[in-house]
Amino acid sequence: MNEVLFLLAPRYLSVRKSLLSRERGDLVKFALFGVLGLAFWLGIFFLFFKILNYFNVAAVEDQAVGDPNFAKILAVKLLSMVFTTFFALLLFSGVVTTLSKLYLARDLFLVGSLPVSHAKVFLARFLESLVDSSWMIFIYATPVFLSYGMVFHKGLFFYANVFLAMVPFCVSAAALSALVVMLAVLVLPASRFRGILVFLGVSAFVLIYLALRLARPERLVDPDSAASMMRYLASLSTPESLFLPSTWAFDSVREALFGNLSGVLFADALALSGAASLVFLCYWISGAAYFRGVSKAQEGRVSSPGPVALARWRTRRLPFIRGPVRALAAKEIRTFFRDTTQWPQLFLMAALIGIYLYNFKVLPLERSPIGTAYLKNILAFLNMGLATFVLAALSARFVFPAVSLEKEAFWIVRAAPVSMRTFLLIKYAIYFPPLLVLTEILVVATNILLTVTPFLMWVSVITVGLMVPGIVALGLGLGAAYPDFTSENPLQAVTGFGGLLFMILSAIFIATVVMVEAGPVYYISHAGFHHSAPGPLTLLWLGGAGVLVLFCCALAVVLPLRFGLKRLSEGPARNGENAPGSTSRKKD
Amino acid sequence: MIELSHLTKHYGKVRAVHDLNLKVGRGEIFGFIGPNGAGKTTTIKMMGGLIRPTAGRVSVGGADLAREPEKAKKIIGFIPDRPFLYDKLTGMEFLRFTADLYGSPGKDFPEKAAEWLTVFSIYDWGNELIESYSHGMKQRLIMCAALIHDPEVLVVDEPMVGLDPRAIRLVKDLLRGLADKGVTLFLSTHTLEVAQNLCHRIGIIHRGALIAMGTTGDLKTMAGVKEEDLEAVFLRLTETQQEAA
Repeated sequence: MNEVLFLLAPRYLSVRKSLLSRERGDLVKFALFGVLGLAFWLGIFFLFFKILNYFNVAAVEDQAVGDPNFAKILAVKLLSMVFTTFFALLLFSGVVTTLSKLYLARDLFLVGSLPVSHAKVFLARFLESLVDSSWMIFIYATPVFLSYGMVFHKGLFFYANVFLAMVPFCVSAAALSALVVMLAVLVLPASRFRGILVFLGVSAFVLIYLALRLARPERLVDPDSAASMMRYLASLSTPESLFLPSTWAFDSVREALFGNLSGVLFADALALSGAASLVFLCYWISGAAYFRGVSKAQEGRVSSPGPVALARWRTRRLPFIRGPVRALAAKEIRTFFRDTTQWPQLFLMAALIGIYLYNFKVLPLERSPIGTAYLKNILAFLNMGLATFVLAALSARFVFPAVSLEKEAFWIVRAAPVSMRTFLLIKYAIYFPPLLVLTEILVVATNILLTVTPFLMWVSVITVGLMVPGIVALGLGLGAAYPDFTSENPLQAVTGFGGLLFMILSAIFIATVVMVEAGPVYYISHAGFHHSAPGPLTLLWLGGAGVLVLFCCALAVVLPLRFGLKRLSEGPARNGENAPGSTSRKKD
Repeated sequence: MIELSHLTKHYGKVRAVHDLNLKVGRGEIFGFIGPNGAGKTTTIKMMGGLIRPTAGRVSVGGADLAREPEKAKKIIGFIPDRPFLYDKLTGMEFLRFTADLYGSPGKDFPEKAAEWLTVFSIYDWGNELIESYSHGMKQRLIMCAALIHDPEVLVVDEPMVGLDPRAIRLVKDLLRGLADKGVTLFLSTHTLEVAQNLCHRIGIIHRGALIAMGTTGDLKTMAGVKEEDLEAVFLRLTETQQEAA
């Protein structure tokens, strides 16, 4: 066991060091993440608290139900769904984490050379994966159980038992994930398996979302159908096999909710022994299968020539540009099309845009008490904000990591006779046109679906045309200011402080522009509906708002790019590329 | 051709390079040696424009690297010690990328690229993705890329790391040939034998400061040793500094 602890020591020491070391700006980051995390936690709590209370009230009011325990049935059904969802999330997160920790980590060569058995290496990595894949679900499950405890007036025993049930639940899910991964990589090299996994994950998400969306849940808002919805919910069945860890944990919490001690003890015993058996099974199989998988993982790191040919074909269409612009543009396009992890993201993007447009198509506008034409134009105006927010999300995924994607090869750009300013502007020129076209298509298509007035169509097209440069610049500038060149997955750079700052600033920017334009656009649209010309003051207001929007958009372009340029030019010590004590400086 | 004046670099409180002054003439091969952590790579990175000095200046071909970085970098070929490259490009595409970046693709680029790839024995791999290259092949490709724009100054950090004996011989001959053609070479190395055989002058850096500079003969005189090889000189000079500290 000592060897397992030794293997875990580097991780423990790194975490401890990063928690203890305080750098400038850490407090701001901590506060920002803390507030957001807390807001999300409270949101879950209030949502569940409200739903569980609503079940109680609705069950009493709805005489047709005729069952005094109906609220409890619904609460238990919801609990079962919660556990099924958690189980699915834990399994998916476990598979992704285990795959990278066990088979794709950079330090595997070092660890593999140590005089420690493969099974022990597996166990150490498994424990690491268990913590990494479960901690977030553990934290965000607490408000759910807290709301159950409060609504059902439960005491300390209930909460202690929830903890006791959740631990083996997470362990079992992680063990099952590890088993799946261990067996899968014997058939497929780990890097290819990851690609397939990402694709399957994205596809599953899109399909589930599409299924939910096509079911038109907005119809359930209709108060006439609330009772039938609840009856429907009660009749839904979730997978509750006796062999599923989610069933063991669910049974334990349910029995604790109803105060059935013997039921609790039986479920907990089942959960604990099940988790222990699964971990033992993993450990036993790892002795035979783990090293074979690690060895096979090294075989699949090279891309097939297919993507190579595709990317080459695409870059032949760049004869009109020369020098550094051509160099960086061609490199960007080739890298993008050859990196298979990018493809599911494109698929996801296309699906989300399809869903976005479908949402506008099926809006139940005819049921609104406000005039349809009037409402359509309000929606079209708000749609500018929504479409640009979609753009911000796309920029977070594609533009923000653009600088980090240079990875450790960034020295090539630093050593080249190209200024950082040129480098950033080239990156900007590469990402701006497709995102502009995409956002304009989104806005024009939704406006056509809504059959808006020509005035609003023009306002939308021009405003969005002015906002896209700002949002792309925000993404690129902040991505350059907070890059991560050393990460195994640079796309994760957006989950850090810089990414959060980008989303917050984008939201503020979008809200500002929409608010500035809202007044004059409202009065001009209003005048249009009454077939009268807008007054000179309104026109003056529109002009002023236009100038202000232009000014905001110009600031959104210039300031982040200058900030990013300044930070990037300050040198590598900022981003770990060559920080004191980093491997690159230690060497000499 | 290369001039370092009062070059200093601090990483927070750590003094990596302190008040470095030296000049390297056209066609000269200058070797930079020193123990681990002496400041060699930091100096090389400042010369390549990869990091900013805390104080002092680097001038290459008369161009100040801080004031006219593009002009200075255009005549430098930079070879780092670790071959981080764009894995999703092929070798040939990477050479094209470099030539475009340096603004010197020219019509004869395909022939020139093929020639360098052949010299470094990786021509057959030119159309394969770099991710499939071994460490040594990547190192060779970086050398091709550093030479594709006909640099006047070559800054090399550990030129022989990751190369097989045949490639080491090839690189040595190549560097000598380049110097004969007037290319200035600044090499940092741990391999004293390389420094001794290849370099016209050698500088020894220790704890960020240049403690000795000259030909192998000059250094032997300074160290007061009679042995033929540079190792004894190196050990004596760095030990003396250690004792003085």
